Amino acid sequence: MTAPGSTLLEVEELTVRFPTADGVVQAVTNVSFSLRRGETLGIVGESGSGKSVTNLAIIGLLNRKRAEITGKVVFEGTDLLALKPDELSAVRGRDIAMIFQDPFASLHPMYRVGDQIAEAVLAHEKTSKGKAQQRAVELLGRVGIPNAAQRAKDYPHQFSGGMRQRAMIAMALVHNPDVLIADEPTTALDVTVQAQILELIQTVKAEFDIGVILVTHDLGVVEETADSVMVMYAGSVMEYGSAAEVFGLPQHPYSWGLLDSMPSIDRRLETLMPIEGSPPSLISPPPGCPFHPRCRYRFEPCSSVRPPLEAPPGGHLDACHLPSERKQALGRSRSVEHFGARA
Amino acid sequence: MVLLLAAVATAIGVAASVGSASSGSAKKSLAGGTYRIGWDTEFGWTDSFDPTGEYLADGFGIYTNLMLRTLVAYPHTAGPAGTKIVADLATAVPKPTNGGKTYTFHLKAVKFGPPVNRLVTSKDILYSMERLANPKDGGQYVFYYDDSELGAIKGFHAYATGKAKTISGIRTPNARTIVFNLTTAEGDFLNRMAMSATAPIPVEVAKCFEGKPGAYGRDVVSTGPYMIEGADQVDDSSCSALQPMSGYDGQTNLTLVRNPNYDPKTESTGRLALPDSFVFTVDTNTDDIYNKIKAGQLEQNEVSAPSKPIREWATNPSLKKLLHYNSGDGTYYVTMNLTQAPFDDIHVRKAMNLIIDKDGLRKAWGGPISGTIATHIVPDSLEGNILKNFDPYKTPGEQGSLAKAQAEMKLSKYDPGHTGKCTASQCKGVLFIQGERFQDTQMTPIIVADAAKIGITFKVRVAKPAYPVIQTPRKNIPISERPRWFKDYADALTFFAALFTSKAIIPSGNTNYSLVGITPAIAKKVGATGDLTNVPSIDDKYAVCQAQIGDARVACWAALDKYLMLNVVPWVPYLSAYNVYTLGSTVAKWDYDQFSGTTAFARVAVKG
Amino acid sequence: MALYIARRLIWTLVVVLAVLGLTFVVFYLLPAGDPALRFAGRSPTPETLAEIRHRLGLDHPWWYQFGRYSWHFFAGDQYGWPGLGYSYSGGFSVMSQITTRAPRTLFLIMGAAIIWLTLGVTIGVISAVKRRSWIDRAAMGFALFGLSAPVFWLGLMALFIFWRELGLPFDTGYEPLSAGVWNWSRHLILPWCVLALLYAGIYARVTRNSLLETLGEDYIRTARAKGLSERSVILKHGLRASLTPIVTMFGLDIALLVGGAVITESVFNLQGLGWLAIDSALGQDLPVVLGVTMLTAVAVAVMNLIVDIAYAFLDPRVRTQ
Repeated sequence: MTAPGSTLLEVEELTVRFPTADGVVQAVTNVSFSLRRGETLGIVGESGSGKSVTNLAIIGLLNRKRAEITGKVVFEGTDLLALKPDELSAVRGRDIAMIFQDPFASLHPMYRVGDQIAEAVLAHEKTSKGKAQQRAVELLGRVGIPNAAQRAKDYPHQFSGGMRQRAMIAMALVHNPDVLIADEPTTALDVTVQAQILELIQTVKAEFDIGVILVTHDLGVVEETADSVMVMYAGSVMEYGSAAEVFGLPQHPYSWGLLDSMPSIDRRLETLMPIEGSPPSLISPPPGCPFHPRCRYRFEPCSSVRPPLEAPPGGHLDACHLPSERKQALGRSRSVEHFGARA
Repeated sequence: MVLLLAAVATAIGVAASVGSASSGSAKKSLAGGTYRIGWDTEFGWTDSFDPTGEYLADGFGIYTNLMLRTLVAYPHTAGPAGTKIVADLATAVPKPTNGGKTYTFHLKAVKFGPPVNRLVTSKDILYSMERLANPKDGGQYVFYYDDSELGAIKGFHAYATGKAKTISGIRTPNARTIVFNLTTAEGDFLNRMAMSATAPIPVEVAKCFEGKPGAYGRDVVSTGPYMIEGADQVDDSSCSALQPMSGYDGQTNLTLVRNPNYDPKTESTGRLALPDSFVFTVDTNTDDIYNKIKAGQLEQNEVSAPSKPIREWATNPSLKKLLHYNSGDGTYYVTMNLTQAPFDDIHVRKAMNLIIDKDGLRKAWGGPISGTIATHIVPDSLEGNILKNFDPYKTPGEQGSLAKAQAEMKLSKYDPGHTGKCTASQCKGVLFIQGERFQDTQMTPIIVADAAKIGITFKVRVAKPAYPVIQTPRKNIPISERPRWFKDYADALTFFAALFTSKAIIPSGNTNYSLVGITPAIAKKVGATGDLTNVPSIDDKYAVCQAQIGDARVACWAALDKYLMLNVVPWVPYLSAYNVYTLGSTVAKWDYDQFSGTTAFARVAVKG
Repeated sequence: MALYIARRLIWTLVVVLAVLGLTFVVFYLLPAGDPALRFAGRSPTPETLAEIRHRLGLDHPWWYQFGRYSWHFFAGDQYGWPGLGYSYSGGFSVMSQITTRAPRTLFLIMGAAIIWLTLGVTIGVISAVKRRSWIDRAAMGFALFGLSAPVFWLGLMALFIFWRELGLPFDTGYEPLSAGVWNWSRHLILPWCVLALLYAGIYARVTRNSLLETLGEDYIRTARAKGLSERSVILKHGLRASLTPIVTMFGLDIALLVGGAVITESVFNLQGLGWLAIDSALGQDLPVVLGVTMLTAVAVAVMNLIVDIAYAFLDPRVRTQ
């Protein structure tokens, strides 16, 4: 158990490639970040940005025979990528837990919810079935499910969407993990329920004193809950910094595009402003900046030289060739001032 | 090929007419053991093993050799010697008196087997005859005894129709004498009294099955050297106590053991009764039976073997001597309807006999190993070999002769231009009924191709099953290759009566397919339409032969056969099939019963 | 749950009645040929035919025969319950024939079913897990062989190799349990294997496909994320959810084999219900045909019911429908 505020997870130059019949898919390229205890890292990106693959690589759910993974994922001093499969499954679920997007599909339809959680207990702990089930009921109560003892005997199809996700969270917390990875936990839920779940995640983070990686395509979600933000596009990091930095002064054209395209309650909306174009194919990506074909601000070096992830003086990490004055100027107009307090 | 023919020829030569294996050494050393017979697919009884209604050879073979003694019987051996009438229950074979119309039999002292255990009396034989007559008891060969049909026992019909309480023509003056009075002289009456249905039946057991044909088959009481196993455990004190005998399960297993009440001193038909028991078991896997015979688990097969094991035995030097051929006393034939064009013209019928490749048809049955080419109606063994060399439509190799057929065709009214081919419209698209057997699919193309050579084309219709179709005169079927006919007992009457007399023509179940002897009255009754003007009758000739006895009778039948082949030509006969048995090496002694056309079980023995 | 079962039971009864009616129509109203003629044998005089018709009950109108048959079926007759009448050709009671032969068929099916389920599902699971490896291809090839090889050829080959050539005591024929377990089973070993081979092939393929589909589901990912052992993921989570198509198939296969294992029964001379069905159909022995058909229909209906109930146990989602 490391001290509060200490670094739990350190990802260095993580690269994931999938060789396929059509070519090598560069799913994730040189992603690096870190996670501290008590920190919520929001990873933002659209579909295909590599955000999910990054997390699957961290937790070891990628098939090593089909994916080439290089880099380092250091968790409490150990490089997870160097571990053998059975060593990794000891970590998985116990020290690092993950919850997924569709809680209905993610729970086994034929087993009772309580039993599934109890199973998670027994996966890493030698205890009696009765004790495991007790723990399951207890956790269900803690994630806010009323009548937990009764509900534990129900089947997933008897739970509502929000309750299922709560149950998933309960299942993830069974062994007091140090890291909780939430992959789009609210995408399949109603807006009102979304808020409840996000709140629950925050509560859990504080109560259990863990680090949370929250993956989403929804900036609004990140705004509310994240301590740090990493923007990904086409498998690479575009921008990375604390939430205050990224929202206070976004430095990357992609982030500007994301912010522009978001409808906001305190901004009059004439038309929506989407980012034109579509994400590139990840097989043999074009040289230069992965975003440049869609960037309004592209200029000569963008199509040939890949911009390195660097922090301009006084700013946070970004991967863009634009001169920092330009970035500051353009970023200022997209600044989100009262982030974290959206009504 | 040559080797095969040589092997077959040797086998035939060796087994020629008498089919017994090793010559019998002292009876003592061959006695004992269990003789096991494998039965293909199912027993196929016609009346569930009830002797009153069984009319197929398999039933007769078991009854007459092992279980049921009749007034007179046969010597249970092969060839013409096997068709001679000898005394069984009677003290001697009676000579008829009263102009051949009265037969008096005296009975030996023979006992029924368990559970009845008493002496057989004349009343027991009378009871069997009444049982035959009673339509509620499922009798099958009734017409051989009924005085209104082919039979002649006085008062039989009256009893059968309920008009009389007894059969007036059968008298039982005392327990050991029975007298039969006939309405006309029947030359083959003794043959009919050798049929198993006439064997004495104990009324105390059979009465429990009155009106339930076939049910007695589970409790047949024996008079022969063997009985159904478990007969001695049956309680016959009342009908409710009566249980089926354990040795026969009704479907798949028949076990016969020695009848303790059988007295070999009363035996006069040559039964040796060597094995201690006989076990007949049904096997649904035909191959399995022959494998078991080779493995020593069975002594032999029950029915005639198919071509595969025959070839195996014939070509294997150690098995060759265990292969036995005997005449099956049956003829396979193509039947032609004399009322339907173009077969209403005798020249067309003769041309068919000359064009059809009979050797080719025989190939469908396995070739020469399946039998000899039939050249006339009745098998030679029933006609004392008189017509052995009679082949009126001989062609090279019996494969048909275009030249001869054409020559015959030119004489036909359907070939007005004398081209040698049938040119009239009546010869085109003639309805041809093909049977349901595998061999039928192989024979039909041969016949179709051959007939086409003389200008006759067929519209082939497959009927599954075919017999109901061709046995209905109303359907006016011109031609079919399906039929075959076996003797009922060793007298040619059993061919002519049902096949060619006008009396035999009935609306359904008719076996006189050619409608020989049909008259407008009969045609109206059965619904047959067609040209009746050219249909000859043999009724008068039949009546003459029927009254004869002995050698004169046999010669008379032969002459009728010849007449039919030359002047009526109702058929194209093609095969006189063999009954072939592939024995196991454990068989010590073997004989063929020419009467039943089965193994002479009374004269077999097993080693060890 | 109890209501579910009750509803299914009533429906089963309706189905059985419908089959009874339909079978009767097919066999009594649309006969190919006159059964009375067939049993009249050599001397079909009009009197004999009338006698036979009366004895067989064919001289009544069809609705009378149907009513009488249905009444006997549910109420029993002199031979016991259900009343299936007596055979035309042998006069023996149909019920006695069925009770004699049914155990043979049932033992054959049960033994083969155990083998094919174990073998088929195991092979299917292994194939799915080792998808596209040589093991998978070999297993599917084997399954294809089992599916395609004609049963009679397999049977004859088995007899030839094991009984004839190798001399093992795996005979044809049947001996009841009373003759000793060894004697009973040695006649059934080859038929079990031959019948099982055919179905094992089918079940292997179905299991493989069903499991592969299941393994793509999200809850499998969750199971792995929990840190469960791969074995637990595949067998406890994967296989459990793949079972429904297998259960459906199994129910129907068993039911149809009741009257349908004809070839196996005849090659191995087991003389079970299948052979009885064919034999009586060929011989136009209507009561026996009806009896076996009804038995099979009831078996199918009952198996369907059992399958439905098993469904409800397997998949809780079904219960609330």
